[in-house]
Amino acid sequence: MIKVEHLYKKFGTNEVLKDITTEIKKGEVVSIIGPSGSGKSTFLRCLNMLEIPTYGTVVVNGQDLTGPKKDVQKIRQHIGMVFQHFHLFPHLTVLENLTYAPMKVKGEKKETAQEKARLLLKRVGLAEKEKAYPSSLSGGQKQRVAIARALAMEPDLMLFDEPTSALDPEMVKEVLDVMKDLAKSGMTMAVVTHEMGFAREVADRVIFLDHGVLVEEGQPAAFFNSPQTERARDFLEKVL
Amino acid sequence: MNLDFSQIVPYIPFMLEGIWVTLKFVFFAIILGSILGTVLALFKIGSIKPLRWFADAYTSIFRGTPLILQLMIIYYSIPQLTGYDISPFLSAILAFGLNSSAYISEIIRAGIQAVDKGQMEAAQALGVPYRAMMTDIILPQALKNILPALMNEFITLTKESAIVSTIGYLDLMRRAQVVGSDLFRNFEPLLFVGLIYWCLVMGLTVIGRMFERRLKQSD
Ligand SMILES: Nc1ncnc2c1ncn2[C@@H]1O[C@H](COP(=O)(O)OP(=O)(O)OP(=O)(O)O)[C@@H](O)[C@H]1O
Ligand SMILES: [Mg+2]
Repeated sequence: MIKVEHLYKKFGTNEVLKDITTEIKKGEVVSIIGPSGSGKSTFLRCLNMLEIPTYGTVVVNGQDLTGPKKDVQKIRQHIGMVFQHFHLFPHLTVLENLTYAPMKVKGEKKETAQEKARLLLKRVGLAEKEKAYPSSLSGGQKQRVAIARALAMEPDLMLFDEPTSALDPEMVKEVLDVMKDLAKSGMTMAVVTHEMGFAREVADRVIFLDHGVLVEEGQPAAFFNSPQTERARDFLEKVL
Repeated sequence: MNLDFSQIVPYIPFMLEGIWVTLKFVFFAIILGSILGTVLALFKIGSIKPLRWFADAYTSIFRGTPLILQLMIIYYSIPQLTGYDISPFLSAILAFGLNSSAYISEIIRAGIQAVDKGQMEAAQALGVPYRAMMTDIILPQALKNILPALMNEFITLTKESAIVSTIGYLDLMRRAQVVGSDLFRNFEPLLFVGLIYWCLVMGLTVIGRMFERRLKQSD
């Protein structure tokens, strides 16, 4: 589904990602973890071209995003993204947040889009909020709407950048539950997270980044119980 | 105290007519300024460098020199350079329109840039094209930042409009001066038009507040 080869990203002279090579298979759930500033967000954003890689290739669904003939907009339609701070459209209702892109980008009819949106809202447990504006929702509700908004485009792949980091502790679970549900349904997911519990429980694979380098990757059980590298051991000691 | 308002009574219709004369050119200046200002703002946030430079230079010149000078230059230099005898009315619209477009472009640019960057990223991540993103997502939110400042600009323009009296345009201000020299008393007519200016500004302020309240409701 996603193939990343020798990916480099520089901001000016600051080399944030160094020679990252990895792969995410269809239906796989990958957790990306690492210290603050290690390049996790940047890596994720290179997967849908919110950041343009300095060097290297990113191939999604057989299409080379870094190649010369790329239609970034087209490719993004198949990649959903969920942000730490939700970024719901504040001037649109919850339902409109979900229907806007399918109607505008995919040309769906209003009725079709609304019907699908209502199903998605039901799935994330917010059916009764369709007429509400984002400002009246709690953080956990906002994030569930944001997930539903991304799903409304029927993506093949979902990217999550610390989806629970901006939430009050009591709201973390409701969002993680939606994500677990999504993982069970077979969605391909790349999740940057500080929730080690989620990584251990739900992920098929863990990628550990440090200072822009992919230091270690492996199955959660192996990674958490017996990390192979010094840096991963240090990191896990601090967070667990 | 030697105040006598009864003497200006016969001149009141003459002075009231000035409201219309002032509003007429202010109205056209605002239209011109808004259109030009929007175009300049798009230049400023766009990625085409020469257009950006042009818009920045334009803004710098019109904000960096006195409005009365710009007015005089337009009124006196156009006949001298082109032979076209430009009317005070047209000169006033041009000077105020060009001048306010510089300020309005800054207001719009700042309003757009104040919209959370995440909004743009969220739209991009959904595959929304640039134009649709601007008109459906960014501009409606920017409007909330823009409208109050824009209202202020219109109020300033209305007040500053009095300087067109210097090129002989028969606006409110000029009419007060005419009446003053007719009567050999300046204070009363000046006070009278002062009151009118104040009412105009208050009117604009009330309209602005109404707009703002409307916008807040949609939150
Ligand atoms: N747009 C940008 N311009 C310049 N530098 C940037 C930009 N975005 C990120 N960086 C830098 O890149 C480095 C990695 O940032 P990134 O946000 O990817 O880290 P992260 O692992 O997601 O950290 P966190 O856990 O704090 O979110 C940081 O040093 C950051 O300052
Ligand atoms: Mg980050």
